[in-house]
Amino acid sequence: MSLLRLRAALSGPARLGGGGVPWSVLRNYSSASTKEKARRNAVCERAELLEVLKARVKQLQASSIPEVTVNKSELTLLGNDKLQDPLQEEGAPSPLEEPAAPWGRGQSLSRPSSWAEKLKKEMHVRQLKVERKLSLAASQTALEEEVKAKPKSKEKVKAKKSLKSPKAKVITAWSQAQGGSHSTCTHGKLRVTVGKEGVKAQRPPRAQKDSSHQKVLQQSIQSTLECFLFLQQPEEAERFLLSYHSSPAKRRLLSVSAYNTVMHSWARKGCLQRISRLLCMMESVGLQRSLDSYAAVLECLGRSQSSTQAVWRCLQQLKNDGFHVDDLFQKCLFEEDEKEMVLRAIRIVQPNYQLPPPPSPQTCKSSLLQDFYSKERMVSYPKLDFSVQELQECFQQQLEMELDNTVTIESVESTKPLTPQAMRARSVLSTLRSRWHGALLQALHKSKRSMAKLRNTSGYSTLYPYLCLLPDEEYVGIMMQIVNSLSPQGESLAVLARELGSKVYNRYITQRKLRSRQLEKVRAVYEGYIHLLAKDSQPEEYLPREYWEKLVAEAGFGPALNLKDCSWPYMLLMRLGMHMLELLVEALRVPRNILNPRLEPRLIPVLYHIYSFHSSWQVGLIKPHPIFSQLVSDAGETLLTFNSSAIPMLCPPVPWTSPHFGAYILSDTKLMRFVEGVVQHQQLLEQCPQVQLHPVLDALNQLGNCAWKINRPVLDIIISIFNDKGNEKLDIPPPVSEVPRPSAPPGSSSSWSKAHKQELLLYKKKAAEVHSMRMDALYKLSIANHVRDKVFWFPHNMDFRGRTYPCPPYFNHLGNDVTRAILLFAEGRPLGPKGLDWLKIHLVNLTGLKKKNSLQERLEYANEIMEEILDSADRPLTGRRWWMKTDEPWQALACCMEIAKASRSPDPAAYISHFPVHQDGSCNGLQHYAALGRDLIGAMSVNLMPCSVPQDVYSAVAQQVEEFRKKDAEQGVKIAQVLQGFVSRKVVKQTVMTVVYGVTRYGGRLQMEKRLKEIDEFPEEYLWEASHYLVKQVFNGIKEMFSATRDIQHWLTESAKLIAQSGQTVEWVTPLGLPIVQPYYRSRSTVLNCNMQHLSVKSFNSNQKPDTVKQKNAFPPNFIHSLDSTHMMLTALYCLRQGLTFVSVHDCYWTHALTVDIMNQICRQQFVALHSEKILQDLSQFMLEKYCSPGRETRAQWQKKLMEQLSNVPKTGDFNLKEVMDSTYFFS
Amino acid sequence: GPGVLTRTLLNAGVRVVALESNSAFLPNLQSLENSLDGQLKVIYGDFFRLDPLVTGTVKPPALSSDKLFESMGVAAVPWRADVPVKVFGILPQVRERNKLWRLLFALYECSSIYRCGRVELNIFISEKEYKVLTSKPGEAKAYQALTVLWQVGCEIQLLHKEPWSSFVTNMKSRGLAVQKTKWLPNDHLCLVRLTPHQNLFTGSLKPTNSATFIFMVKQCLAKPRSKLTDRLSSWSLDNGGKLLRELEIPQNAETRDLYPEDYRRLFEALQNSSEFAETWFNDEVMESIRNINL
Repeated sequence: MSLLRLRAALSGPARLGGGGVPWSVLRNYSSASTKEKARRNAVCERAELLEVLKARVKQLQASSIPEVTVNKSELTLLGNDKLQDPLQEEGAPSPLEEPAAPWGRGQSLSRPSSWAEKLKKEMHVRQLKVERKLSLAASQTALEEEVKAKPKSKEKVKAKKSLKSPKAKVITAWSQAQGGSHSTCTHGKLRVTVGKEGVKAQRPPRAQKDSSHQKVLQQSIQSTLECFLFLQQPEEAERFLLSYHSSPAKRRLLSVSAYNTVMHSWARKGCLQRISRLLCMMESVGLQRSLDSYAAVLECLGRSQSSTQAVWRCLQQLKNDGFHVDDLFQKCLFEEDEKEMVLRAIRIVQPNYQLPPPPSPQTCKSSLLQDFYSKERMVSYPKLDFSVQELQECFQQQLEMELDNTVTIESVESTKPLTPQAMRARSVLSTLRSRWHGALLQALHKSKRSMAKLRNTSGYSTLYPYLCLLPDEEYVGIMMQIVNSLSPQGESLAVLARELGSKVYNRYITQRKLRSRQLEKVRAVYEGYIHLLAKDSQPEEYLPREYWEKLVAEAGFGPALNLKDCSWPYMLLMRLGMHMLELLVEALRVPRNILNPRLEPRLIPVLYHIYSFHSSWQVGLIKPHPIFSQLVSDAGETLLTFNSSAIPMLCPPVPWTSPHFGAYILSDTKLMRFVEGVVQHQQLLEQCPQVQLHPVLDALNQLGNCAWKINRPVLDIIISIFNDKGNEKLDIPPPVSEVPRPSAPPGSSSSWSKAHKQELLLYKKKAAEVHSMRMDALYKLSIANHVRDKVFWFPHNMDFRGRTYPCPPYFNHLGNDVTRAILLFAEGRPLGPKGLDWLKIHLVNLTGLKKKNSLQERLEYANEIMEEILDSADRPLTGRRWWMKTDEPWQALACCMEIAKASRSPDPAAYISHFPVHQDGSCNGLQHYAALGRDLIGAMSVNLMPCSVPQDVYSAVAQQVEEFRKKDAEQGVKIAQVLQGFVSRKVVKQTVMTVVYGVTRYGGRLQMEKRLKEIDEFPEEYLWEASHYLVKQVFNGIKEMFSATRDIQHWLTESAKLIAQSGQTVEWVTPLGLPIVQPYYRSRSTVLNCNMQHLSVKSFNSNQKPDTVKQKNAFPPNFIHSLDSTHMMLTALYCLRQGLTFVSVHDCYWTHALTVDIMNQICRQQFVALHSEKILQDLSQFMLEKYCSPGRETRAQWQKKLMEQLSNVPKTGDFNLKEVMDSTYFFS
Repeated sequence: GPGVLTRTLLNAGVRVVALESNSAFLPNLQSLENSLDGQLKVIYGDFFRLDPLVTGTVKPPALSSDKLFESMGVAAVPWRADVPVKVFGILPQVRERNKLWRLLFALYECSSIYRCGRVELNIFISEKEYKVLTSKPGEAKAYQALTVLWQVGCEIQLLHKEPWSSFVTNMKSRGLAVQKTKWLPNDHLCLVRLTPHQNLFTGSLKPTNSATFIFMVKQCLAKPRSKLTDRLSSWSLDNGGKLLRELEIPQNAETRDLYPEDYRRLFEALQNSSEFAETWFNDEVMESIRNINL
């Protein structure tokens, strides 16, 4: 009896697929109804069946018997009132479940129901089997034999035996249910779903208690399965899945998506049978089918042109599970031809089925943007100076670049003549490199072979599939890139490993986008998108995002434009990188005598691994052998290789339409930058309603759509100085050879005197610094030179506070004076009546002179020194060189040239200028604080109030401090007397500036000490005391002037402290709707065991404890930054509405000279609008809801305290915000 | 402190110079000094802040060893001479490990207190550090670079073991201010005598090149389970096999298997091989000196 039962239980799922009605139909299809075929199949599948069987038995064994007996009562109820069941389930069984902890959270909770479900289904299957009189005798006997052969199987059978009685009950219960209609069955199923959801909803905290380790494992499984999917190796994928599925301990790591991924790989091959088997495996562990499971089944049905009945059953089941057919096309992310296949399958049953209409676009309702988004005031989007044809060519260029993943460009040093020594070194290097290439290829083959062997015998090598994703040549290419770019000082293992790992990842993503036909779709949409921007097409009243979304909807791509999320866990990335690094260190050899032929020839490693010690830490470094470094420096190679994303885009960026999609065509870019491994931001962005993100996306698109070009004359001058030994005063770093080298005394280095060692050490340090600065400049200039004749774009993204940044890392408008000086707007506009004056004022601003004078006085000054300006423009290097003495010499020079050209043109007002004019917020952080607190004196000192001359907050604070000092000196305070004559603007400036950003007394004192040290006359012995005294007085001074500011800062800090102490992270939403979470956690590190070295890797996950100190100290500055970014975005959006070109460097706004006045007006309007919102009240309310909502355990002491703190919003002063509108020097 | 150790020493009849870093205890000690006839000299200063690395004037309780020895009237003697001074003290538990390293650097450089000869230290250290200092090759977790370097440098004798429970501590938590340890026992405070070996610098190991020795040992034991040959070859010394044969060290030896004396022999062999002088190793040592000097 028991054996029969076992057979039934085992053969059910194994042979009959799914267990439910529709799956048996599927089986019917696959076994093609002839007996012979069934038999043959059975034989082939025997091995696999056995695996399922084993899994099954183990699982049954693992389930505790008491659990089942508890269920007995419920099961008998099955036939009666089903709706009562869930309540009972949730109420009763928990005490017995507790010991079954290894089953994991949700699963263990839903255990009874899934048991019931399972047994029920097995019985059902059995009945069906009898009904259909399918003979499976052959395979069954085979199975029996297999089972018997195993010595352990007896025990298992016994375990099974004890289940007899509950089962019998089930049968009766089930047969009753069978008496009813088909709908009873589905009812039962729905009940289970409901019950599960109920349990989940009831105990969210428990569901969240997932250890970080487990999450990483889950992620790894998923990404490995996706690798197999990509490699089109369904057998491997299934084998991998089974290795988890068959062990009860590991099985809980498998989620529905793991099974779905394997089903997708089979679906691609059209193997329905395999899919049914997987579905049944899923069911056997109580996992619910998801929408994606149905997508896989339907894809397979579509591919194999199945019978109407099979599809019909499947769709029926889909509906029974509470899904809708339309959901498939609205929610699933399809790749390749999956969508077409699913559609084909559906049309087998419903020939007239039409794709669901795309969701109608939503509009943001933020009060700050009512005007911006109102349909009545829509204006057409500004056009670029390009035709459709030209933009298409630009797109093609950009695409080709990204398809190559890397770009190799000539460095600006290539104009230097080549010495014979360099020629020799280059040829030596190229021979070596080709040898290394071969050696690496061999090493890679070898390691892959040994991994494959391991895979065949025992378990799985986790890395193997990741080393198969790309052609071997590409892996070698990536490794060679690392060797070529390694600095002589070496690099830490962790950094190199991450770089290697992510390079492989990026190429894999590119390949996937190609394979999944995502690129094709993007290209199609982009071709339409060009019409919004091109000058020779119809004007359209859309924003880039809206237009893109419209095109996507029209093309019927739906969400298919996004790739499935397939990021690799950080640990995996590191492991892969470490493996490649190990290959590199092992494989690369260089003859020892290559530079000195007298030595005996012998191969020595090129890279060596060494530890560097920092107090108790030891850090592993990879350093190139000095011989190699010498060769590289001798060769002076002039080709530089970059990731394609390091080069500005050659076509307008793809507009951001969601947190996953935008910027480059292929390169993966995140909407929000974050520290590696932090997942919270992305989660938050995904969870919030997408319409809420529209303003932020639109602002980023606006910044990214600004076209740029190179200021060629300035670039040429800079390059000439760069190639001629550089110039430290002009911020052009000299080559390392310019650093004076100390003379080496005779004898081996170990016998040198300490002083000499010290000297050499200093030289090395300096040389390393100079080298890195030189390389940085080389990269920037070379990229600029590479695009010197092109128009280009900087796609933008943002940090977690919403501050925006251009994505290309080296060359962008956020850079230093040198880089800013070589950038021009590609679009030109006439100067207009006031444009030339603005250029002149801008020039004076760049000099750093006349800061305390009015605009008029600055203009007059510029007119006074017109001769110097023209001389600088005409003879920058040979004339009087006035520009070199300014604060920002290169931008000043560029501006001089622009003024010269404009003033010499027949009609300066009509002169077409491409020159960006800047307007700077004066101490922007304090401006926001003063506005938040409506601080009268504070507002005045940071130019929120109209004034005839600009106010200088630093001088004001210095004055205040001086007053305090005088008083103290009179009262005989020694240090106050010592400081007489030393309190100046310069001494206090840095501290005042950083007070807003949360500098502490400790940090402030260090800053003060530095400043005082710079003053030669200041007596050194008083440094500590004086700086201590000064920082105290500066804080007092600020408190006096910005009373509400200090209150607000204090309130923010205290609130954050209480929130963090309660174990939560500080979150808020900006007035524009961007959700923000502070990513500071107490990090835990995991040790990665690698052959070469153990690496300690910081790991993050969503359930980590917050780092209280950081959460607290960083909140005020982060909050202020989120406000300044909001102000910038608002200004950007409204500038767009006025047709202005606008870009920003945080609190410095750029536009054409013609439009400076309009931008200034918008900037002030938006500042007033922003601060007219109840920012602090809104924050308080948001936090009260988030952290103190009544749903939570309210009794806690901390919550009362927090509630009190949060409700107690600081009072504000009586500054009239409207005054900002008329303040000239607010931004100037 | 209150002078328990000082009084014990005085009772033993020796001349004592007491360093007190906390001015609160000074008056008491000074009155003791006055009551004795020159047997005790009290100086305001901290033994563990001798010769601070920062430049500039040395402010008490930090002090320079030159001045200290001058005021004590101790003159420098050659290394091979007898012990010129004996030091008694308790190593503070805070950053205990760092203090041991600093003493070690001073020893190998013959700087700070070791400038005047083989100063004998009699110090209380925690049991876990004692275990490290005296562990043997292959003892997992305990055998470290610190072990090798101390054992090469000094004779280590255990004079006394006192359970932690004999001490009263003033921690807020009322527990003992003793680090909990996972791998090594830490139930006692151990009085150890560290007497520098007379023959420390008789071979080719010299105060001038000792930094290389320290660096070498640290590199080797950064990963104790790595093979010595791998280490050697990663330093471009691929005739390491021959070297090991000459030193009679098995080819497959892991770095944790080597006795301290083996490391010394390895270093001396390397110093004498012409090849070693030309490797980058010495440059590397120089660069890391700063980091190593905690």
